[in-house]
Formats: sequence, C-alpha cells, structure tokens
Amino acid sequence: MKSLRKQTLDGNVETMLLAVLEAGTSYGYAIVKDLNERAEGILRLGEGTVYPVLHRLEEKRLVSASWRTAQNGRQRKYYRLTNKGRKALAGNRQQWHLLTVVMQKVVHSTAQLSPAPELKGASI
Amino acid sequence: MSLALQKYLDDVMAYANRKQQDAERIRAELQDHLLQKVAELEAQHLPREDAIFQAIEDHGSARTVGYGLRKGFALLDVRTEGTARGFIAIGPRAVGVIAFGGVAVGLFAFGGFAIGAIAFGWLAVAALISCGGISLAPLGVALGMAVVGRIAMGMIASGGLAVGVWVPWAVDRVSLLAGDDGLRFLQFFQDFRNYAGEVGALVIVSWLFMIFPFLAGLMGAIESWEYRRIKKADPKLVE
Repeated sequence: MKSLRKQTLDGNVETMLLAVLEAGTSYGYAIVKDLNERAEGILRLGEGTVYPVLHRLEEKRLVSASWRTAQNGRQRKYYRLTNKGRKALAGNRQQWHLLTVVMQKVVHSTAQLSPAPELKGASI
Repeated sequence: MSLALQKYLDDVMAYANRKQQDAERIRAELQDHLLQKVAELEAQHLPREDAIFQAIEDHGSARTVGYGLRKGFALLDVRTEGTARGFIAIGPRAVGVIAFGGVAVGLFAFGGFAIGAIAFGWLAVAALISCGGISLAPLGVALGMAVVGRIAMGMIASGGLAVGVWVPWAVDRVSLLAGDDGLRFLQFFQDFRNYAGEVGALVIVSWLFMIFPFLAGLMGAIESWEYRRIKKADPKLVE
C-alpha cells in the first residue's frame, strides 16, 4: 500500500486552499475540514500547518481576512479569495493540468507495467 | 480553557516568536480552531480530556506549527521582548546584519554580549574588531575599553593586557584607563605579560584559538540540554 509523499504536495497546498476558498468565505477550521473531505482520506493535513499557508496567502494578497463574531460569540477570522487570488488559482490550475498531462504521457507506459498503487491517507 | 490547550498555544507562540499584537491575533485564531475541534469531538461522545488531547494531536507539533508561523527576515525588527530578527534588529536578543541588544549577533553587533565581525559589548567576540569589557578577536583587533576590558586578546591586540602581536604602547595610547588604574587582580596579568614575554604570549594565543571550539561546544551543549528539557516537558513537541 503506497501513501502520498509530503514532497509531492510541497508548493501545492496553497493552490488547494485557494480552491477551497473559491467556494466562498470561510475560516480556518472549516477550510481544513472542507479540504480533508475533498481529499477523501488520501491526504490528511496537520490542521495547524494550514495556518502558516493561509497567512502567507494573506501576505501575498491572494486572500483577504477579516475578524467577525461567530455564532458561539467567539471572535473568528474569516478568509476570502481576492481577485488576485482568483487569477493565481486559474494560473495554478492551468499549470497543474499541464503537469498531469505531461506526467500521463511520460509515465503512463511505466504505469501499465505495474498495477496502480492503492492509496491510503497521508499526513503532513 | 484547559491548561493543556493553553500550554500548547504557549509553545506554538514561543516558537512563532511574533510581536505581541500579531501573537494575540494568531493565538486567538488557533484557540478558536482548537475549541471548535474539541466541541466536535465531544459531540462524538469522546470524553473532554481525550477530546482535548486528540485536538492537540490533530493540530500538529507545536514546533512545526510555530516555526511555520514565524515571520521572515525583516528589514527592521524592533521589539521589547523575545528575539528580534532583521537586517537591523533591536531587542533583548537581536540577530541581524546590524544587531543591538542584550545579546546581539550580527555582522555589526552591539550589546551586553555581542558576537559579530565587528562587535561592541561588555563581552564582545568578533572576527575583526571587538570593543568591550572583555573582548576576543581571533582574526582582527581587540580593544579593551573599560577597567575589566583591559583584558584584550587577538592576533593583533591592544589594551590593558594585550595578548598576541604585542603593541607595547597600547596600554597608554589605546586603553581608556592606564595600567595602574586597573582592578588590583589585573595587575597580575600585567606582571605576567612582562614576565612571560613572547613565550607567554604564544601560550595564551594558542589557548585563544581554543575559545571558538569551546564556545561552539558550549552552544551545542546548551542546545542539547534545551532539547532534552522540551522532550521531558512534552515528548510530542520533539520531532
């Protein structure tokens, strides 16, 4: 049984977070939950490791953040995608698509020789 | 909020080393996350204590999260607590190209304990020029300026007691205090210098070259002690 290596994901977590935020304004906990659900157990992010990435996206102005009072009365930080973030996501998507096409073309013949590995949850 | 959660957040923020206002906001955000996670786990009929530890475990190592939240090297970092890191760093502990602080490390370092190519401080260690109470400059010039500082060691050293390539007139011309004004015990070194001459100088310079390996060893030992201390306090923090 093979697992997804952390290195494979490096640099792509930003894109994944942007994709989650494309659906609308959200906050840390909900973003992590949404991400894990979308990953269907193949990938499980260390929940705290998402925050440095979110803050980095905020510094790059790809997302904007605001504090609001949540239903439980606690102050909560909400993130939303900016126009710059939307453009970055579109560019990253295109890059990702090209990469998968290239990988399919180059690696496909090898993949036919051995069965595809069964994936299990990987944590970073 | 539980003590375990507070301690976890304390550890994260210690590693993050952010300024107070930033630190409070980040802490509030992480706290909100952890509390919601605990509530969700409790709703799944997990006992509160187990839910807290599960939430902390799922959140990730305090060290990893904290270092991730650390700011990059700033152009200017000024702070009243913690370690300042920047091109120009000013704080109780400062690390930068130009560093001012109680403990300062940088190309130009000014502080109680200063390490740098050019260092000024009560205890200054430098590769080129070092000025302070006790100055060590293996590759450059060391100048002892205060009373205690009349101990100066270097390849070229000038001061109350100069070790290395002797500059006989240095005591009177460079030191702020003349030889006789020094602390009484320093007279011993003065006498030793006169007595030992070149051979003594050679011996002490040889000793001097052991200073840096010694300091490196000392830092390694402190780091190792700190690692063991953290591991003992919470094994989960050590990866």
